[in-house]
Amino acid sequence: MRVPVELFDYATKEPVEGELFDEVTVEHFLETQRDWRPAVIEAAKAMLKSGAPRVNVPRHFHWDWSTKEADLRVLAFSFFGITCRGKLQGIMKLETAGRSSRLPEHKGKPLIYIDYLETAPWNIKTLVEALGKGPQFGAVGTRLIEAAVRRSLEEGFKGRLALHSLSTSEQFYLEKCGMMGVGRDSAKQDLLWCEFTPEQAEIFLGEGGGAA
Amino acid sequence: MNTKKTMTLNLTDQEMKVLEELSTQKDLSKTAILRQALRLYQLVDVKLAEGGKLFFEDQKKEKAELMVL
Repeated sequence: MRVPVELFDYATKEPVEGELFDEVTVEHFLETQRDWRPAVIEAAKAMLKSGAPRVNVPRHFHWDWSTKEADLRVLAFSFFGITCRGKLQGIMKLETAGRSSRLPEHKGKPLIYIDYLETAPWNIKTLVEALGKGPQFGAVGTRLIEAAVRRSLEEGFKGRLALHSLSTSEQFYLEKCGMMGVGRDSAKQDLLWCEFTPEQAEIFLGEGGGAA
Repeated sequence: MNTKKTMTLNLTDQEMKVLEELSTQKDLSKTAILRQALRLYQLVDVKLAEGGKLFFEDQKKEKAELMVL
């Protein structure tokens, strides 16, 4: 699957076309390690040195997508990526089996779980600003969340979706996407479990995924 | 999504009853239930082949049972 998606070019302040795809390969994982990880680590160090609020300091500096190579062959996992101007701009891993809602009214109902979602460091405003630059593309995370909601609908999960949010991303999921903060998970470093009900997912898609 | 292929599945009355119950409980079609089952089966199989172990823990977290497929 390869479909065009609309991103936002911060330089021109105009929409720009990217491509959403699900044929993610180990090459994409290696690209994140080669092109993304050094920038994330550099920004984290710069933010700590400058005394930036700890809530803004990236928590995903240790992520390594290449360790997920074996998961590419497992039906219970799905991967999506977004490219623009020849570069990977975002990547996401979904769990499509074995996860269910934690909301009382939907308890036990299956959902799509976003195991990992990462946008390229040059698209994360707080991160690139720590390096004295401006972000390149907006709406990458939003387009990936939309893809996850659509997968939920395709699977018959009615748009139900959940994830554990890093502290640096809670505002995005709760305020921009309109997900519900269900509770902190002591089994997962006290990360916040965020969830879309079918109704919230429908609103999210109807609003074009919310703001960039 | 990939192109789908059709197959005929023969189930006993009891198997069909369980499938229908799960379909109602999970708010999923019977096809989606079976697709979930296949995914979980493969996931467990892969993890066991990699040397992983699967445990069920009771509510008191006192007893764990190893499940091997």
